[in-house]
Amino acid sequence: MDLQKKLEILSGAAKYDASCSSSGSSRKNVNGGLGNNQSSGICHSWSDDGRCISLLKILLTNICTYNCVYCVNRATNDIPRASFTPEEIVDLTINFYRRNYIEGLFLSSAIIRNPDYTMELMLKTVRKLRIEHKFNGYIHLKAIPGTDSALIAEAGQYVDRMSVNIELPSNDSLKLLAPQKKKESIIKPMGFINSKILESNEVGRFYKKPKKLFVPGGQSTQLIVGATPDHDFNILKLTQGLYRRFQLKRVYYSAYVPVLSHPNLPAVARPPLQREHRLYQADWLLRFYGFKAEELLDDNHVNFSSDIDPKSDWAIRNIHLFPIEINTADYELLIRVPGIGVLSARRIINARKMCSLGYEHLKKIGVVLKRARHFITCRGKYYGEIGMNELLIRNFLTDKPVNLQEQNSDWQQLSIFSHIADSNILENNSLLLS
Amino acid sequence: MKYIYDGSFEGYLTAIYEAYYRRETPERILPDTNLQESLFEENIRIETNSSKASRVANSINEKISPTSLENVYYTFLSELDESDVWIFQYIKLGFKVGKNIDSYLSDDRVLKIMKINRKVTREIHRMLGLIRFRQLEGNIFYAPIEPDFNIITLIAPHFQKRFADQNWVIHDIKRNLAVLFDCINMVLAPLTPDFAIELSKKETDYQHLWIQYFKSIAIKNRINPKLQKQFMPHRYWKYLIEK
Ligand code: SF4
Repeated sequence: MDLQKKLEILSGAAKYDASCSSSGSSRKNVNGGLGNNQSSGICHSWSDDGRCISLLKILLTNICTYNCVYCVNRATNDIPRASFTPEEIVDLTINFYRRNYIEGLFLSSAIIRNPDYTMELMLKTVRKLRIEHKFNGYIHLKAIPGTDSALIAEAGQYVDRMSVNIELPSNDSLKLLAPQKKKESIIKPMGFINSKILESNEVGRFYKKPKKLFVPGGQSTQLIVGATPDHDFNILKLTQGLYRRFQLKRVYYSAYVPVLSHPNLPAVARPPLQREHRLYQADWLLRFYGFKAEELLDDNHVNFSSDIDPKSDWAIRNIHLFPIEINTADYELLIRVPGIGVLSARRIINARKMCSLGYEHLKKIGVVLKRARHFITCRGKYYGEIGMNELLIRNFLTDKPVNLQEQNSDWQQLSIFSHIADSNILENNSLLLS
Repeated sequence: MKYIYDGSFEGYLTAIYEAYYRRETPERILPDTNLQESLFEENIRIETNSSKASRVANSINEKISPTSLENVYYTFLSELDESDVWIFQYIKLGFKVGKNIDSYLSDDRVLKIMKINRKVTREIHRMLGLIRFRQLEGNIFYAPIEPDFNIITLIAPHFQKRFADQNWVIHDIKRNLAVLFDCINMVLAPLTPDFAIELSKKETDYQHLWIQYFKSIAIKNRINPKLQKQFMPHRYWKYLIEK
């Protein structure tokens, strides 16, 4: 089979993995070798679906002995199969890199023969790149669940980021859809990678510089959204736990794309992109805005609404905390205002040292006043024209605003009613499954 | 009254020096390229002088701030119409208020410069990704570009670090300018695109592989050309292999 065909098959199979980011690690060019890494991450192109292309993202092989129900590569699925040799991957990576097509390589794989055999081939590839070819570009490696720790330990010295995909947000879903994978086989390498990272940082503290970098870009994982009945609150709590327990750098969410049908899989017409989007927004709030999962959702409110973003939703439910005065509020509170981001909050703090800020200043600073004005005062004056009314503000901030004229008591009841109805359905669902 | 200079950054800074020295306020500071001189206008020619220029650069650096000097340089390279005026006003304000100038975001003189800077910075960042090298016969990697702003000197150092073991040329076709690197030295030189390039034997193979990759990485049920263009505006497609 020629290289072109292999690339078609093995990049096609890798594309559903969302973790394309290459940021978070800067590797200096050593002894006149090839490449250096920019810690801010560079997109080299945007594919026809509008996603950033930064890495050559491929599978080593799509020949798999496992049979996970949701996966195109499962053993019993009748599709064309292919495998790269380590040499072919090295050649592609280097030649794409030299032409400035990519920042580096993202190598994943199906499980050929057994986990260790697969991991050994992947290890051989990254070793060749780093040692033989002095390649300093970015490398992200998928650790195969169930692999010997010694292999992971060696690979960790060569790569910038390592990830183990959780894919399914709960143990039940795992049993149902990926019966050969155990929760332990995923959690174990994650814990191992984390302890090695900590260890290498520890060494770094004593010797000023770590003797050997271990996965300097940290680890990440991916969750499939919408293939199982797990609700957003479950997923977000899992995310929060991963950030805390394993110090993951990123959790990626991938809207489930219906690639095949199976009685255990839901029938979805379209990937739940809106849900994926809301989860990314919430994830952002966890990482940069100091929110906790329990603040954004709770047991009575287990999914994000499709027509309002999580931050606005939180602010409206906590309307008693607002409005806050822009000239005196702490940074922590400023960033919780819808329409004020990390950057504009910093600019506010900076600019108000010079003079007290009025409404006009905020516009110049880059605050989205359409949202923010409902939650702030400037020099004591409130600019939201509808007052601190929860429902009215909610109506203002929803993506598809309901006609204001219909805003009467009937409408209120209706919306509360449908909200309760929704969460009932979801609860019944999860009861059925547990 | 207008000042006319040779189009270089040094020339521009010399003009600033003269304006302060002669206590004049030129209404424009214009490069002599493409200049249609009108008989009725009183134009003053400024001779570029590097010691005068570096005195201005140093005082911006010390009396205002290094970031301000960078802001001035970026705005200069934007080549936007009237940027000569905006820079001059910004510098004047800077000498008055000192190192905190960039906090005066509510002042239009500062805001304007910040906005242009953001645009230039964004193009630099985009270019770092969107430049495409082609391997030529003789093992030189050649990348043609046509950026909105004159940023070739700002992107070259990135590639010097990245492709330290590779001969390469980045060529700004719009401005007839090129940066050349031979694994040791990096130089900026005028270069007109009137030569034929001969691709290396394997070049088209890798281009086809890249196009193949670009095609198969897209998810069919999520096709979104609008989003794609938003990130990667159409004007940059000319030299992309995949488009
Ligand atoms: S092991 Fe991986 S590649 Fe194989 S079927 Fe399961 S998810 Fe797919």
